[in-house]
Amino acid sequence: MTTDVIQPGPDELRALVDLERGAIDRRVYWDEAVYRLELERIFARCWLFVAHESQVAEPGDFLTTYMGEDGVIVARDGNGAINVFLNSCTHRGNRISLAEVGNRRRFTCNYHGWTFGLDGALVALPQEDVYRQTCPGFDPGDLGLHRARVVSYKGLVFATFDEEAPGLEDYLGDYRWYLDVLLDNDEDGTEFLEGSIKSRMACNWKFPAENFAGDSYHAAWTHNSGAMAMLGMGVGKSNQENSYQINVNGHGWQFGLDMVGNAMVLGEQDIVDYLREREEKVAARLGKLRSRMVGSISSANLFPHMSFLPGQSTFRTWHPKGPKGIELHTWVLVNKSAPESLKSLYMKGVMRTFSPSGTLEMDDGDNWENSTQTNDGVVTRRQKLHYALGLDSGIQHPELKGAVHLRKYNDSNQRAFYRQWLKLMCDERAHASRS
Amino acid sequence: MPVNLGETPILRKPVAPPPPMLPPRDLVFEVEQFLYREARLLDDERYQEWLGLMTEDVHYWMPGIQSRHRRDKKPRLDPRRMAFFDDDLLNMRRRVTRFLDPTAWAEDPPTRSCHIISNIEVELTDAPGQCRVYSAFVNCRGRGEAEEYWLSGRRNDVLRRVEDGGLRLASREIVITQTVLLAKNLNVFL
Repeated sequence: MTTDVIQPGPDELRALVDLERGAIDRRVYWDEAVYRLELERIFARCWLFVAHESQVAEPGDFLTTYMGEDGVIVARDGNGAINVFLNSCTHRGNRISLAEVGNRRRFTCNYHGWTFGLDGALVALPQEDVYRQTCPGFDPGDLGLHRARVVSYKGLVFATFDEEAPGLEDYLGDYRWYLDVLLDNDEDGTEFLEGSIKSRMACNWKFPAENFAGDSYHAAWTHNSGAMAMLGMGVGKSNQENSYQINVNGHGWQFGLDMVGNAMVLGEQDIVDYLREREEKVAARLGKLRSRMVGSISSANLFPHMSFLPGQSTFRTWHPKGPKGIELHTWVLVNKSAPESLKSLYMKGVMRTFSPSGTLEMDDGDNWENSTQTNDGVVTRRQKLHYALGLDSGIQHPELKGAVHLRKYNDSNQRAFYRQWLKLMCDERAHASRS
Repeated sequence: MPVNLGETPILRKPVAPPPPMLPPRDLVFEVEQFLYREARLLDDERYQEWLGLMTEDVHYWMPGIQSRHRRDKKPRLDPRRMAFFDDDLLNMRRRVTRFLDPTAWAEDPPTRSCHIISNIEVELTDAPGQCRVYSAFVNCRGRGEAEEYWLSGRRNDVLRRVEDGGLRLASREIVITQTVLLAKNLNVFL
């Protein structure tokens, strides 16, 4: 990273995102200064998904992940609370947990042995008496690990480093009504299966995020070979008049009401049968319309960078690693009450479709990397990209919440993604934080 | 008191591993040739023949690797955790179906792959006609103009002799050295 980048101002940023005409400046995908501002104004301010509660089920359970490029530890303490704090010692900044997952009573830095509790408080350090004798005003209470605010929504744990950010309920808004399709279609709730597959891609984080937010259009073309492998036929022409894009606060969900279309791609009849058997029960719980969304052909992105596929049950985050890089973390979400044999089928189904070796994901990565790489050509960058599909597709719908657009072949969710992006990027207030 | 020179007492009695039951030289040669040929079939994208080297009940497993502390009581590898591959023959065929489909865009132009297979050890097992084979691999993939991905790891195979007299792969466990896969995809069998 260079250090002498000049921060773009609001006018400059607004010129990058033309929502009226549906034109996006390629600079948002390669520019270091834009990227740095994203880390400050999006990743250090938004409520970011950090874990599913089931991943840290027991006291002492922890995992490490990222909020922007800041490494964090997610840990459950002895009182059952989930804490999120920086994975960086307050003494010299060394990374504290090198393990990505495990169970511990405390975290000790390898450098000088400073030791922190499951809530991030500094609980011990070697030769503490030397500090007490020679360091005026020394107070271990001031030297705990920098903590984030933490709130869960039906199993999903979110955190933010912004003290002034409105609550998670405001952040999610009516998107919760849609999240319930996956998180609350069964009274026992959900869990992540064990493990996480992680990989790197040389693409800007926004390409996968906007793709999941609303790029239904790519599926039939990009993933034809994956569909041939999993279904024995290409992706069919989809019914555009019975499909929607909805967005709330930059979160997007595009879907049909076919109930099992995504789930079928996992290639396991038992999963399709399970969903069909449960349809009535889910309808009684969530209403008929949402029962048809549970496994339908669809994709979604919770702003900024947490994406999922209903039916395929893959959840993932696209952690930014510079303007041209991401680290992808993926998990499998299932209903806690599902039979163990079915959970195993979900795990294998996700692995063979949406993992680095998956028959569908393999073709995505190639596209996103090449889109990122080409966009910063000196001449290439002069022409804006086309995001104008469905400019006039907004509708009123008696049931659907949020901004609703008819037809899932539509850029409306992607424009909504960039509307939220621009709003946050232009927020010039100084950062607020607590120690 | 004498200066303690820092040795661990248990290391004063080194234990040589028991000498292995050496397998017949012909079998070792046959296994080596099997693995080299298998690697060449993959490099040449001769997938139909490659699938022909599998038993009907083959299990092909490449677990995800996690960075865990030594004292962590959970197993290092666990079949219940997410994996890159956890396939039976049907699912290997599905993957090959995609590789060979003309719309597998990420395979056209083709990825250039080279498998280097080494450290081959053959162990006889109690099951007649079946042997355990350890090997190490380095795989290099070249893609597009200047993309290059390296992957290395160890394999633990079971080979079984079948009716036609030849060897087949009955199971393979692949353990790579990366916890975060340093590539956008894994469009290769290892």
